[in-house]
Amino acid sequence: MSEFHAENPLPQSADDLNAQYIACPHCDSLYVRPRLSENEKLECTRCHSIIMTNKVRSSERTLAAMIGALILYGVAVSFPFLSMERSGLENKISVIDCISVLWTNQMYLLSIALALLIVVLPVSRILLLVQVVGTIRVNGRAGWRNARALRWAQFLEPWSMAEIFMIGVIVSLVKVGKMANITVGPSFIALTVLIVLLTWTSTAMCRSTTWAALERKQ
Amino acid sequence: MRTAREYGLAVCQSCGWLVQDAPARCDRCGRKVHFRNPASLQKVWAYWLAGVIAYIPGNTYPIMITKSVAGENAATIIGGVLTLIHHQSYLVAGVVFIASIVIPVSKFLVIAWLALSIQRGQATGEHTRLHAYEATEFIGRWSMVDVFVVAALAALIQLGALVSIQPGIGIQAFALSVIFTMLSANAFDARLIWDREQDKENDDDNL
Ligand SMILES: [Zn+2]
Ligand SMILES: [Zn+2]
Repeated sequence: MSEFHAENPLPQSADDLNAQYIACPHCDSLYVRPRLSENEKLECTRCHSIIMTNKVRSSERTLAAMIGALILYGVAVSFPFLSMERSGLENKISVIDCISVLWTNQMYLLSIALALLIVVLPVSRILLLVQVVGTIRVNGRAGWRNARALRWAQFLEPWSMAEIFMIGVIVSLVKVGKMANITVGPSFIALTVLIVLLTWTSTAMCRSTTWAALERKQ
Repeated sequence: MRTAREYGLAVCQSCGWLVQDAPARCDRCGRKVHFRNPASLQKVWAYWLAGVIAYIPGNTYPIMITKSVAGENAATIIGGVLTLIHHQSYLVAGVVFIASIVIPVSKFLVIAWLALSIQRGQATGEHTRLHAYEATEFIGRWSMVDVFVVAALAALIQLGALVSIQPGIGIQAFALSVIFTMLSANAFDARLIWDREQDKENDDDNL
């Protein structure tokens, strides 16, 4: 890796410019863009952020994980994840029940927020990634509309809270475990595997390679 | 070390594309690209204040109301933690305490410290500040845990007259506080940490 030097005149076209240089998004340092070999990383010498990666088989691994995640999400939302039994009374709950109970208690905003954070946004993010990575996998490249999709998928990442919901479920399990008989449903297992898959994807997916495979709007 | 801005280049914060005539739309992903996010600190402070304000009713109003044959019991966040300690569920008490008290409060402090350090033009501790910022962005969303706990319990504990749990109004304020604080951290432009007085000539769209 080498730093940018003032003697080098900047190329006029945006394509040449971006083919030759890269900047750190966290501290703005400019570098001559290196050729990375497999699994090599470019680390910023000033702030030590990772600027660029080159992970092997990023698109097929991401695609496989995302299709798996989509199926698991279907299971997680359609089946009950916990059921409790006490004194002959039984209650089974699904993810949807957690959202609707807020609605019936007049907490409309919170109910909508929950629907977004644990169902709508995570599923949209997975669908967007399937579209982008799937197109790249099939065609080798993808058109500019996919760049918009990838940008939205990145935007949705902090707002997709499936894994936090899961920790919440475990905490509530411990809270009521002593006062009633609690059984975990199929959706509980689906959610657990889903969390593992989503966490794994964030390490398997290579942002630099994915962005580089996207064409620009002319 | 030379920065992209010194050469009239702006980096797209979504995809890393270098743009020559900022402020302009990124011609790869379509996002608006600036040398530095415009009015970054004003947005940080506005969301920060909203987050702090919402945090107060989030802690003073009950987040969960338990109705049973023994009567009605409204619990606040702290009350819930104390109950867990009373029942010797120390691990879960710890998780809830960290997610609902330690993380939100330290997030308020870290964001305020970062914003003030930029406003004072502090030129030291860049690495510490960047790490603090990244930790804040990474951990902040985990405060939502208590909101999900309340939703799950309210849905699960519905055994008619025997025992039932209702969500309390405090949880709505608490969720709002977490969302505002996430927006506040999002609005912060990490590049400001590294900026120095002498290289601000190209600063046409900053602050
Ligand atoms: Zn850097
Ligand atoms: Zn872009």
